[in-house]
Amino acid sequence: MSAAVGSGPSVGPVDSAATGAPVTVAPAQRTVNRPLALWLGLLGLGLLIGLGAWAYQLSQGLEVTNMRNPMMWGLYITLFMYFVGLSAGGLIVASAGRLFGAGGLKPIVRLAVLEATVAVLLAAIFVLPDIGRPDRAWHLFRYPNFHSPMMWDITIIVVYLLISLTYTWIYARADLARRGSWLALGTKASEAAQKRDERLKLVLAGVGLPAAILLHSITAWIFGLQISRGFWYTALMAPLFIASALVSGTGLMIILALIARRTRRVAFRDTLIAYMGKLLAIFVAVEAFLVFSEMLTAAYPGAGFEGDPVARLLTGRYAGFFWFEVGAGLIIPFALLVVPRLRRNLRWVAVASVLAMVGIFVHRLNIVINGLSFATVPYPPGVPVGTVQPVGTDSFALSLFYYPSWVEWLVALGVLCFGAIVFTVAAWRLPLREAVHG
Amino acid sequence: MPDKVSPIEALSPASRSYGEIGPVSAEPRWAMVVDQERCVGCWSCCVICKSENDVPLGMWWNRIDTVGDALDTPYREQGELAMHWLPLACQHCENPACTRVCPVGATYSREDGLVMQDSGRCIGCRYCLVACPYGVRVFNWGRPERPTEFHTGMVEPRPLGTMEKCTFCVHRLPDGQVPSCVWSCPGQARIFGDLNDPQSRVSRLVRERGGYQLLEERGTDPRVFYLPPRRKRGLEP
Ligand code: SF4
Ligand code: SF4
Repeated sequence: MSAAVGSGPSVGPVDSAATGAPVTVAPAQRTVNRPLALWLGLLGLGLLIGLGAWAYQLSQGLEVTNMRNPMMWGLYITLFMYFVGLSAGGLIVASAGRLFGAGGLKPIVRLAVLEATVAVLLAAIFVLPDIGRPDRAWHLFRYPNFHSPMMWDITIIVVYLLISLTYTWIYARADLARRGSWLALGTKASEAAQKRDERLKLVLAGVGLPAAILLHSITAWIFGLQISRGFWYTALMAPLFIASALVSGTGLMIILALIARRTRRVAFRDTLIAYMGKLLAIFVAVEAFLVFSEMLTAAYPGAGFEGDPVARLLTGRYAGFFWFEVGAGLIIPFALLVVPRLRRNLRWVAVASVLAMVGIFVHRLNIVINGLSFATVPYPPGVPVGTVQPVGTDSFALSLFYYPSWVEWLVALGVLCFGAIVFTVAAWRLPLREAVHG
Repeated sequence: MPDKVSPIEALSPASRSYGEIGPVSAEPRWAMVVDQERCVGCWSCCVICKSENDVPLGMWWNRIDTVGDALDTPYREQGELAMHWLPLACQHCENPACTRVCPVGATYSREDGLVMQDSGRCIGCRYCLVACPYGVRVFNWGRPERPTEFHTGMVEPRPLGTMEKCTFCVHRLPDGQVPSCVWSCPGQARIFGDLNDPQSRVSRLVRERGGYQLLEERGTDPRVFYLPPRRKRGLEP
């Protein structure tokens, strides 16, 4: 990431439509250069390690994770939500730009669509290591129960994946046809085809935007509809998820855009980053507002169904995580982005983006772990169901403290590397630069 | 498993009749009453449950929680010490949170309202465990280990990576036998029967002793009713 941060203000290549200067974007490359090979090699290694860890987990069962009956979901589900969020966030920004005429985002629309596609793919993949019987994953299609928010989510993920794949392809096909690639699937690059594609893109933006919003709302409802968890059972869950998706999605888009420009895959002016920085500041503010509203509502009664988990988040065992989320994930990025002088500095925007992304990840962890770490039965002392994890001194009565095991970290690493490989190869082979018409 | 002798068959006929459900209405609605006045926290029901249902080590379908702040320790109420337990297993909710969320319908309500678990269909997503407000489901995190080489259970053991829970000993009901935990309780703190029969023991006890449901306010409508302890057992005379 630091590579992208390096390019100082207004030294990068600029958009030809805006300046009339020759375009300095490299054509889609066919040869692999050294750094690219090294990068892909590293990712491949990570993928192999992850596959090994997953094989180990398959042979031993989910016992090798640190999840147990009282803390039944962990890192995998957190990353699942996180990637759904990254995907939805990226697509919402890209589609809204298209629909509502924020034309300034045009140079990175393809990048955003590609990011959304890869991210939702990763989210779907994260389901596999999480379930106890991946060999039975086909049951989801054979015996669907449409009362289950999880089933709604699987449905929307499949639909959304198809939409974003189409989206990616429609954006690329004229260029692919011009290049004579088989990936164009027989479409021609004519003037008429171009016109038709423009219309199609608008339609897709119109479909993609609600699909992305629905995707993340449904993911929120997996949690927000559960009467068993006071910390989750709030109507604010879906809006909160959308806000956090916008924060993390925009953050990732800024970082990816900077890297893609560094590697000369896209071209845009620095003002675009400043513009996205402004958007990010707004999203962070909305997120902060929703988090505050949620916390206040739950904490005000002082205790009980909702109050206890919140008290624990504010001052208890997970307070460190929560205050990190607030400080590093909300306050600092907002402060950096709200000052116009800093916002025009790519370096600071990049720093703010990374912080905001990490902040949202911690926010998701807080939702899962703090939400689950509360026994709901009125008289909790007793033997926990499942293996007891010795944690600290109060280990015996109820062990609800969770941290991912090394297997979970390695499997997660593998999935991330896989995503990075797909993204890198796609960004390297596909035409990423959006032609600017009129 | 025909050649196995169930614990109940090993008993004399007189003892066996104790474990019989007796006459029920045409459409029985099974329910269990747990008398907190009688429970002494001895875990007998939990142990027989493990053997009846072949529940692996480290997993309990049925467990005994203690009222108060610490395990098997008295709590203070109105200046006096008291000690009570809360035997806890699946509540066989009329409106279960678990069946609603299972993406593949591996947990479902039977015609007669018992909440069942199909380990052949379960994909192990643990969403039901998230949704159940009572924390009574247990997951096969690792390869099931058992204290004996042979299976003690009267039902099929469940495979790795699937969910399981109390079934109200559904395999015993057709023979007119109460669930194992009911039959085994030395304090006779558990009573099993038909809620659709207003004269059954369960119906009468719930009516007369103020039977309450756990987390009633969440609307799950459990079929397990608890009878509150009648008096505080003070340590001073
Ligand atoms: S107690 Fe839990 S597992 Fe049993 S029926 Fe109710 S919600 Fe389902
Ligand atoms: S763990 Fe099994 S029974 Fe529970 S929700 Fe998932 S598939 Fe259904």
